[in-house]
Amino acid sequence: MAEETPVKAVQVKLVLLGEAAVGKSSLVLRFCQGDFNENTSPTIGAAFLTQKCRLENRIVKFEIWDTAGQERFHSLAPMYYRNAQAAVVVYDITKAASLEKAKAWVKELQRQANANIVIALVGNKLDLVSESSTSPAPPASSEAPAEEEEEEGSSEEPSATPTPNETESDDARQVSTAEAEAYAKESGLLFFEASAKTGHNVGEIFTEIAKTIPFDTIVPKSTTNTSGNRRSGNNNNDNGSNNNVNLGEGQQAKKGGCC
Amino acid sequence: MSLPLHLRSYREKSKDELTRDFFNVPLQSSLPGPSDPPSVVKLRERPYKNGQEELQSMDINAVISVEGKEEVYAGRLSLLPPFLCFISLDRKSCRYTIPLYTIRRVERLNSRAGVFALSLATWHGMRIILQLTSLLPTAEHFAILLRDALKSQLSAMKQLKPFLPSLYSEYLLSSPVSTAAAQQQTDHLLLGTELNEKAGNVGTEAESDLRGPGGEGKGIYQRGLGEQFGFPGDARKMRERSKMKLWREYFMIHGRNLTLLRYPPFQRLLQVGLPSRLRGELWEVMSGSVYLRFANPETYGLLLSQNAGKSSQSTDEIEKDLNRSLPEYKAYQSEEGLARLRRVLVAYSFRNPELGYCQALNIVVAGLLIYMSEEQAFWLLEVLCDRILPGYYSPSMEGTLLDQRVFESLVHRCLPMIQEHFVSVDVQISVASLPWFLSLYINSMPLIFAFRIVDCVLAMGVKVLFQIGLAVLKINGEALLEVTDDGMFINLMRSYFATIGDSAHPDHPDPRVRAITNFQELLVVAFREFNVITDETITAERKRLRAIISDEIEKFSKRAAVRNLKNIGKFSKEQIGIIYDHYFSAICSPEAGPSTYPGSSPLPGDQFDQPRIQVDAQGRVETRIDHRTFRVFLSQIATWAREETVTTNAFIQRTDRRVADHELIDRLFFAWDSQNQGTLSLQDVVLGLNRVMTAGLMESIEWFFELHDKDKDGFLTKDEVIQLSESLLFIFRNEPGDIYLAAVSKFILNAYEFGDATAPEGSVDEKIPIHGDRETASGARERSDSSAGPHNLPYLNLATFRMVVLADELLENFFANDLTASFQLEQTGDEDYHQAHQRPEGLLGGLMNLVVTNENKNRLNRLADGFGAALGKHAEWRKPSLTKTVESSTSSGDLKARESLLTPAQQAAQFQRPTPPRQRSSSAVSQASTKTVESTTTIGTPDEKRSLADVEARYREESQMVKAAQEAVMHRPNFAIDAIGDSDDDGEGEGDDVMDEVEAFLKAHGDDDEGLKGEQKKVAEDLLKAEPVGKGKKKDSSSASTGNLVDL
Repeated sequence: MAEETPVKAVQVKLVLLGEAAVGKSSLVLRFCQGDFNENTSPTIGAAFLTQKCRLENRIVKFEIWDTAGQERFHSLAPMYYRNAQAAVVVYDITKAASLEKAKAWVKELQRQANANIVIALVGNKLDLVSESSTSPAPPASSEAPAEEEEEEGSSEEPSATPTPNETESDDARQVSTAEAEAYAKESGLLFFEASAKTGHNVGEIFTEIAKTIPFDTIVPKSTTNTSGNRRSGNNNNDNGSNNNVNLGEGQQAKKGGCC
Repeated sequence: MSLPLHLRSYREKSKDELTRDFFNVPLQSSLPGPSDPPSVVKLRERPYKNGQEELQSMDINAVISVEGKEEVYAGRLSLLPPFLCFISLDRKSCRYTIPLYTIRRVERLNSRAGVFALSLATWHGMRIILQLTSLLPTAEHFAILLRDALKSQLSAMKQLKPFLPSLYSEYLLSSPVSTAAAQQQTDHLLLGTELNEKAGNVGTEAESDLRGPGGEGKGIYQRGLGEQFGFPGDARKMRERSKMKLWREYFMIHGRNLTLLRYPPFQRLLQVGLPSRLRGELWEVMSGSVYLRFANPETYGLLLSQNAGKSSQSTDEIEKDLNRSLPEYKAYQSEEGLARLRRVLVAYSFRNPELGYCQALNIVVAGLLIYMSEEQAFWLLEVLCDRILPGYYSPSMEGTLLDQRVFESLVHRCLPMIQEHFVSVDVQISVASLPWFLSLYINSMPLIFAFRIVDCVLAMGVKVLFQIGLAVLKINGEALLEVTDDGMFINLMRSYFATIGDSAHPDHPDPRVRAITNFQELLVVAFREFNVITDETITAERKRLRAIISDEIEKFSKRAAVRNLKNIGKFSKEQIGIIYDHYFSAICSPEAGPSTYPGSSPLPGDQFDQPRIQVDAQGRVETRIDHRTFRVFLSQIATWAREETVTTNAFIQRTDRRVADHELIDRLFFAWDSQNQGTLSLQDVVLGLNRVMTAGLMESIEWFFELHDKDKDGFLTKDEVIQLSESLLFIFRNEPGDIYLAAVSKFILNAYEFGDATAPEGSVDEKIPIHGDRETASGARERSDSSAGPHNLPYLNLATFRMVVLADELLENFFANDLTASFQLEQTGDEDYHQAHQRPEGLLGGLMNLVVTNENKNRLNRLADGFGAALGKHAEWRKPSLTKTVESSTSSGDLKARESLLTPAQQAAQFQRPTPPRQRSSSAVSQASTKTVESTTTIGTPDEKRSLADVEARYREESQMVKAAQEAVMHRPNFAIDAIGDSDDDGEGEGDDVMDEVEAFLKAHGDDDEGLKGEQKKVAEDLLKAEPVGKGKKKDSSSASTGNLVDL
């Protein structure tokens, strides 16, 4: 990472992929607006949101494409992930099949998308599994993102054994942390388990991605950013309608360091 | 993995279908007859039952007029049973679709000078006079067809009475018919409410206004959620009462609901936005879905009751989306609203299981249900999915992808600067425009405006979506040229839509101009500047781009399927690709068509009408092939699994391929069916082929042995030895000469001899267990064979079999080389299938198009065969599966050319073989004829040349007509909208009546449409003013139509 770059907003195009109803939209909403809305607005094709994220030495402006999860929208996905610098592939830890789908997405991204794309695998709905598995502290932000995954691994929760329980008991987990993590490691992905509902680990996903992105390669994009400023000059109501950004900045203040 | 199979079965619509589409008339086959059971699940093609013939359609020139209306229009009258449709010559002034069951009386009028005139009286007494202006016999023929069609509707007429109360317009008009009295009453009523309003009684407005005259409480008409939860928007601002009054007046003269005629005022009333209470009904009338609701009164209820409690992938997906369907609207925060939404979506997913449920439908249906009852929305949904937005919501969403491409191409044509800019900054327009089309703008702009666009789409068709989209881009043109990435583009569009209700010219000194909103401006730009985008434009563009999109979809799913294979054996990516292509083309081949599926109803429990698609344990859809399809597949790969007949006549030599049928093929099928499912997935096929194609001598012997060892005990019984020999003979069946037959005989003898010697003592006499799943016709045969006692003893083990095989040089060679080499992965030539099959459109292409159809090819082949036979030069022979070349005969070079498909390895392993005997007679001729099978014919004799020349000339003539027609479509006047950002008020009034009218209307009504806030004093005044304006319009249009005026 180019630590010496002056503080300046860098635009990062990020795409969210994953099976339907694994909580992609909720994750983004949580990240962008700091709240959880049971009735998220529908995603037709893809919803577009933006959020800024502050690192020590730079501001990263995420342009987030939250894609529709339904299988038939698959063929539209390339429109959204092309030129993306980051991808969050989401699965539902209470649904084993959703991890399979996530793996297929990872494969597709690795072959079809940007060569340098940073992919994070995220198991969502951590709030649905038993208390003990949600309790472990999120990995504290570490300096070296490459080690981040391992750290998370070391804080592995003991109750994460895959005991798929059909009855509506507290442990609905179907994908063990170990299994998903092993896959993520093998495929070179960032890995998180998170809950959009509680907000657990959500900010961390994006922070880690921001840390991991090789910004040197996308420096030219920052020229885009200057033109973006010019645009906001001649189109002021833009900011008014897009309060996601503003809300997000408010959230930054609240959350302090993480985001 | 499910494959986009349906793309290959797409066909362009016939002229009749296009006409029916234009008039929003359902296909005759989609309307149940009186004796039919209610159709619950949607049928692709309803087979015509014996004795119930399709009623004949007919077009005729006619002049029509309506009692009480001055205008008379000349145009084209179409009898499309059970509907009578009319369109005026200018294709916009007057248009109607009337179901014949609403017609009470038809009389021939006594008229002078041999004019053939009919008077139609509708059930509510509207009289339509039709003057048939064609020649008398034609007119009489038309009258006869009309009479027959009317007769067929006698039973439907009885359903009319119970149906009518479901319509709000009937409720609205249920006051005394005496117009003057009703008028007064309504006026009084309306004025009354307005006075109330003036008194500040705003809160009860929604309840008090326009319940319709009579005031005896609520009618039983079908109503949307809006009646209960309130309609979006401010009723007063939207001038609901004035609109309602105008519509009521319109209905009195021009018919209502099922008999509604579209006269010029209709267009104007439409474009200012339909009144909320009437909107649902007008939607179903304009789109024609009301005819389906009329014809299928029980369907919706049956769908719900029959599928109560069932769940499917679709119902799960629906459930997830219920809470995110217009959640801002009150009704969808209530159980009542969500329940309605759920029922409609679920019912439709069971009605059309192939489509199921697609995200975005939740938004669309949520929108419809505000104005429509569940049943109304359900039928409108069917019309949307079938006709208005075809393929938009299907599993591969090909319609959506296609129309996005069409839209891009229209942007390129109409707004080239924007297009160029977007290309230069690498932004796809679809990132913004996709949801516009998928959800009919309902999710993109505030509801009250979006529904006005829906009004226009349902009345005028899908072109409106394009016109609006282009107008949005044009209006924002300047800002769009500043866009540098997706994000800016999206934000720009968002902020535009968020301010669409604001004034378009906020700083203009003239208050009337200030009152024009962005939305009004949008409509004006859309309908005036982009009125060049017609239905024909869209159809032509779709036709041009469909093949490209289809190929892209197929390639995309191919990549995904190949990528998702867990095990690709020793194959390369390319080889896997070829296997996929064969797999796919086998499924699409007509020979694999499910003969058991006659187009009637799908098998119970079968979620799809294609039995080749299965839903796995996780509810995922997977494409698999059954053994019929497998035969086709294998015939494309294994040389011995097909019959190739080479036919030579005096002119050409060609090879016809047929799928072979033998137990051996079924054995392979079952051997590869790793999970005993009775079907094979792509993965199964890949692994199966991997085994046989990478096998050396020993492995080949082994799998061939196992294939015939049904009980997998490691021994072949005597019967199985025989069956194995039969398999060998099957493979060798077309080899010339006797040596193969000899080798097999020797094999049997040896097998018995060594088998006897090595047979285990005292083997149990057991019947061969036959796996239930594997029971096929051939299986049944085996079972009967196997009951023959001693033959079933285990007999020959692998080692012995190997020894017997190796004892024969020919068999050894066969297992070492030929068998493996008989599986050949050749390119299918299906790369860009759709584009390859879409012939170019130019003159030459048009000619090719007309000539090279399969049917013509066959006809030509038969013709040539006939000639050949007459000349005594017709010959046929079976192409051998293994033989490589024929040495030293005159035809050998010839044969070689045809056998170019052989791999070099095979050619290296040549056998010396006598020439096929019958071939010689033809060789001399075939040398002169074409070499390759697929290439077009070369003409052999002068005779043939002449006849072909005739054919060619005819086709050229036809193709010239085609070309002329195409040019007419493509050639349209240039329009000056390329200069982005020019204002819209420059004089473009080049005689385009409708658009001028709209503009004039907007100017005149600019203040009372969305207009001035809080000017309640003016309301009553406006109301009075509205009428004269309407009258002024009538005058306009009547003078405009003087050209069509015919004196009766």
